Amino acid sequence: MKGKKLKIGIYELTGCAGDALMILNCEKELPAIFQAVDIQSFLMAKSDNIDDELDVALVEGSVTTEKEVEELKDIRKRSKIVVALGLCATVGGIQARFQDPQKWQENFRQVYGETKMELPAVVSKPIDAYIKVDFYLPGCPISKEQFLNFFTRVVKGAPPESYPQPVCVSCKYKENDCLLKNGLFCLGPLTADGCGAVCPSHNLPCVGCWGPVQGGNWTSEFYLLQDKGFSREFIKKKMANFAGTKLSEFWKQFDRRD
Amino acid sequence: MKIVKLKKSNLHPFLQAASQDAELWAPVRQKNNKHSFQPIKDFATIDLNYTRTILPPRKLFLPPQFNMFQASLQGYKEDFSHVSPKVIFGVHPCDLHGLLIFDEFHRQNFEDPYYLKAKENTLIFGHSCWPDDKCFCQSTNTHLVEEGYDLFFSELDDYYLVWIGSSRGDDCLRLAPELFDESLSEEDIKGYIAWQEKRNQAFKLKINFFAMPDLMELRYHHSLWEKLGQACLSCGSCSLVCPTCNCYNVQDQPLLSQDASNIQRCWDSCMLENYSAVAGGENFREKRSQRLKLWYTHKLQAYISKYGKPACVGCGRCIATCPVDINVFTVSRALEGEEVEAFWNRLAKEVNP
Repeated sequence: MKGKKLKIGIYELTGCAGDALMILNCEKELPAIFQAVDIQSFLMAKSDNIDDELDVALVEGSVTTEKEVEELKDIRKRSKIVVALGLCATVGGIQARFQDPQKWQENFRQVYGETKMELPAVVSKPIDAYIKVDFYLPGCPISKEQFLNFFTRVVKGAPPESYPQPVCVSCKYKENDCLLKNGLFCLGPLTADGCGAVCPSHNLPCVGCWGPVQGGNWTSEFYLLQDKGFSREFIKKKMANFAGTKLSEFWKQFDRRD
Repeated sequence: MKIVKLKKSNLHPFLQAASQDAELWAPVRQKNNKHSFQPIKDFATIDLNYTRTILPPRKLFLPPQFNMFQASLQGYKEDFSHVSPKVIFGVHPCDLHGLLIFDEFHRQNFEDPYYLKAKENTLIFGHSCWPDDKCFCQSTNTHLVEEGYDLFFSELDDYYLVWIGSSRGDDCLRLAPELFDESLSEEDIKGYIAWQEKRNQAFKLKINFFAMPDLMELRYHHSLWEKLGQACLSCGSCSLVCPTCNCYNVQDQPLLSQDASNIQRCWDSCMLENYSAVAGGENFREKRSQRLKLWYTHKLQAYISKYGKPACVGCGRCIATCPVDINVFTVSRALEGEEVEAFWNRLAKEVNP
């Protein structure tokens, strides 16, 4: 895309800010990044932020306060493209495990007691629960390589590619032995690739931190893990860790059948 | 075809001579106890006491991911950086047959320079093997090999009988002719015959491949496919480890500070949901059962009809790899109407009793 530089904003909602940090971690490429686009707003990197019309907004973190709901809607209004950056923004993050309002209230009270909150909290949701999202870049945190591929495509006006394959594909590229086949609790087949199978390459089973892969067979893997001797409670807990709100329909159907 | 004899103690000196101007690759035992073809710096790391590597040797000719060319408005520049002179030692007959099928595929209709250039630059030294409980190459008739190698080493007591399969293989021997013995004794020949007979008896797994094209047709609409589809994790492992699977994807990767793109190629798998997705959001094989049927039609039916042999070389990798036991063995048994002990069968009973 020649001529005018794209106006970019990078925003952080509720999360560990690891995705924004990962962008800053692209140290070698930072000069090229800042040269290629006009970064209007990036709280972690600079103080003279302008919150105006944007070509692309990258939003990290899940939505957990009423104020964030408003901020997010404002970002959407002034951006041509909105990108969900990282696991929290794409699926709601670990903090989205408790979607049942009553259970959430209980947990909230347990942590904060009866303190009156300055910023009224809401049940954690991914950003697409409130606004239309154009692209998703999953990961906990996102990977450098994945971000740079994505960013370059956006800058050059090419549509970014999604990550519809499971971790197992990269795992086989690296010639790893299948940990699931060997009886370990590995969520590779259910998890979106993008990390390059980092954990299985070090003999550690996948915990699912890139979030659910499109078309994952959760029912089969649930029974497979049970077949290998893991308890139902344990499997449910582990599967829910990084799946956020994206599996609520699956669990409803699963529980109904059981 | 000439056959010569090599004392085992002369193997490393020979490999040293043969790989002077090339990178030597051979099976190495990994930390997880599984084997993999790896570049060799120290001959002591070569471990010939193996049955199958996790990935077949095709990874040396077409790596999982590589750059094909760089394109810009000015033209394109081909990238053959994955091609370099190599010697692969220790390739078993099943994998040699896999490469022969690969040769056929990448030569017919359109020549694939990325494969053929890498192949031209590689010397292939085969090695004899002993079957385990997952090997069924006798059933695919790929337990013996007559072509597709430069040299083939049959291991007997304290020596090898070495088959010379090409003029390049013969050139290799001439690098160190003093290491070889050209005269074989009657005992050597009898020793080889006895070894072969013993090996023929050692195969435990047998599959009736030549019944498969008919059975695939007869059971094309059988509920078996739904059962398999219910269990398949769509992880792609079966095809990624298969010596005859060759599907790939090509992606453009624009470069940030140049007006150019890298055009990258990576292994793909027909087991992945996205594989049959097309523009407009349609997908020809959205269901897992349809994708499995495609793979097995290719392996057990279509290829046999066209070439008179299955697109399976009996290496047993799908058996060793699939977490839910969907593999050529369990599927062929099920096609024959047998009750199979496999996770996919247990799942079907649990979910739809």
